[in-house]
Amino acid sequence: MQQAVNADMSTVNEKSRVLKQIGARYGIHLALVALILVSGIVSPAFLSGNNISNMLLQAAPLGIVVIGQAFVILVRGLDLSVASIMATAAVVATAFNGQPGDVVPIILIALAIGLGTGLVNGLLVTKRDVSPFLATLATMIVLQGFRFAYTQGAPSGNVPHFFRIIGAETFYGLPYNVVILAVLAAVFSIVLHKSAFGRQVYITGGNPRVARLVGMNADRVTMICYVISGGLAAIAGLVLSGFVGIVDNWVGRGFELDSIVAAVMGGIALSGGRGSILGGLVGAAILIVVFNAVLLFGMPVQFQIIIKGIVIVIAAAFYVKRGA
Amino acid sequence: MTALAYRSYNFLTKRQSGLLVVIGLLVLLFLFGAFISDRFSSASNLLNVFEQSTGLALVSLGQTMTVLTAGIDLSVGSMISLLSVLLSGTIDGEASRVLPVCLGILVLGAAIGSLNGLTVIWLKVHPLIVTLGMGALLQGVTLLYTLGPAGSVPFEFDFVAYGRVAGLPVGAVFTIVLFILVALFLRYVPFGRFIYAVGDDETGARLMGLPRRRVLVFVYAFSGFCCALTAIYLVGRFGVGNVYTGQNYTLASITPVVVGGTLLTGGRGGVIGTLFGVYLISLLNNLLNFMDISTHYQLIIQGLIIILAVSVYVEKKRAV
Repeated sequence: MQQAVNADMSTVNEKSRVLKQIGARYGIHLALVALILVSGIVSPAFLSGNNISNMLLQAAPLGIVVIGQAFVILVRGLDLSVASIMATAAVVATAFNGQPGDVVPIILIALAIGLGTGLVNGLLVTKRDVSPFLATLATMIVLQGFRFAYTQGAPSGNVPHFFRIIGAETFYGLPYNVVILAVLAAVFSIVLHKSAFGRQVYITGGNPRVARLVGMNADRVTMICYVISGGLAAIAGLVLSGFVGIVDNWVGRGFELDSIVAAVMGGIALSGGRGSILGGLVGAAILIVVFNAVLLFGMPVQFQIIIKGIVIVIAAAFYVKRGA
Repeated sequence: MTALAYRSYNFLTKRQSGLLVVIGLLVLLFLFGAFISDRFSSASNLLNVFEQSTGLALVSLGQTMTVLTAGIDLSVGSMISLLSVLLSGTIDGEASRVLPVCLGILVLGAAIGSLNGLTVIWLKVHPLIVTLGMGALLQGVTLLYTLGPAGSVPFEFDFVAYGRVAGLPVGAVFTIVLFILVALFLRYVPFGRFIYAVGDDETGARLMGLPRRRVLVFVYAFSGFCCALTAIYLVGRFGVGNVYTGQNYTLASITPVVVGGTLLTGGRGGVIGTLFGVYLISLLNNLLNFMDISTHYQLIIQGLIIILAVSVYVEKKRAV
């Protein structure tokens, strides 16, 4: 009798344990689904093809930045320079006044700026032991200075039509920029989860001492993560410049913090070594859905930032509890 | 006399080996400026720089305290914006309301700040995320309250920003006194020492039974209090509070802290270094204006200074 009760108890425990695990692992995915369902019920317009297509269009640039941010956060870093790289890439996009033949040079120059900034970030963090916050803050400011000096404060010119297509147009409702995001996400997920380099990223972030002891070049791994983040930020900047169409000095403003927020919400721990790209993308999707829902529910636009602020803290707290 | 000089030298340099570097840079910068332009070294220009550094100095004072505990306060910009619109919006031109409203703003700043500290403790979330979230929330509340400049203050209110007593700017002198008081507090009051202890080795501080929670609530409340002081100064300077008044201060407040030799990893540094960091940056921007270098290049130089400063101080900590 007693045994039967015990057995019963243990299956109950087993069940609650499994439930807890599911909650911990897929909590953020479930939250996204719930958010979408509730939004759809409250406001049917939310689930219209047009609105979904719109949200995807907005989500893509953020998603691209989040992939890079994920790499950096996984090695215990943080990249505040992404927004500055995005804006600089966007300024580069208008530099040649919209001739179709300039697309390739624009992409190359923007990528060079992004990768170069990432390299400087990586060097400062690894070789000079500068805290990631300050290193990327400093490169952010320096890059901003160069951009302002170049544009004299007032950028002008047009974005080539090619960027307008990839940034703002859809193929039967599917935005081209989402295709770019999907390809990048797939490639970098494979790199992170299937390659030796990916394992090294997790080890470097999870326990730098172990990384050193097993003879890994942790500095090089960290540096590559910053370079990836810089390069992806440049791509996101080009895509966003196509979405916006015109360029000012602040294209991408706020993306540095939004991308960190999305990554943290998606379960990528600021303490390093934990999280996935998919999680980060789900975090980005939640941000976009929340922004969209606030407007569809007829709330004042200011609630976007208020709710964002609350969601960040709650999401971060959720993962802290889980880790403890 | 020499004993006093020796003691004050000791006081200045203890825990702050980088302080002499900042002071040295400040002197070099001044000599360089004096060489380039006569007007730069004139008393009236220096007093102006002194006067205008008040806002940055006040935010950075609070920021230094949070950084000493290995934290950071990224809500300062939004907090200053919110408090400044509330200040001028509530006073609304009535001279009789000035004093109570100012006191209320100071209390509110400290209250919001302590909410930051409590959230850090309760939720065990990194201060970076907590204050980032709080910053977003406060900016949203600010924009709900008003979408533009709100209310007004009596004309005489500009005394806090432009007032001079015996030729010295009131706000700036008040700021120096506040910095010295905080420096003494950090050095001679046990609770001030706890702030260093918590930042230097959190686990150690907990094992020693130091009041870690009270320390955290205190530093964030103090940072909020400093934001309120900054808001009062800025409303005095501009005559009205606006929704984005504080925006640039969030990141700007960190530069002087770092340049002044306080490490982001906590436990090392101090407020006097920050004060000199503020003067260094204010003087540098002023000099670049005199040299007719556009503000665009000033950004580049500011960024390079951060890189230089953090690279130097990192070596210092390793050597210890």
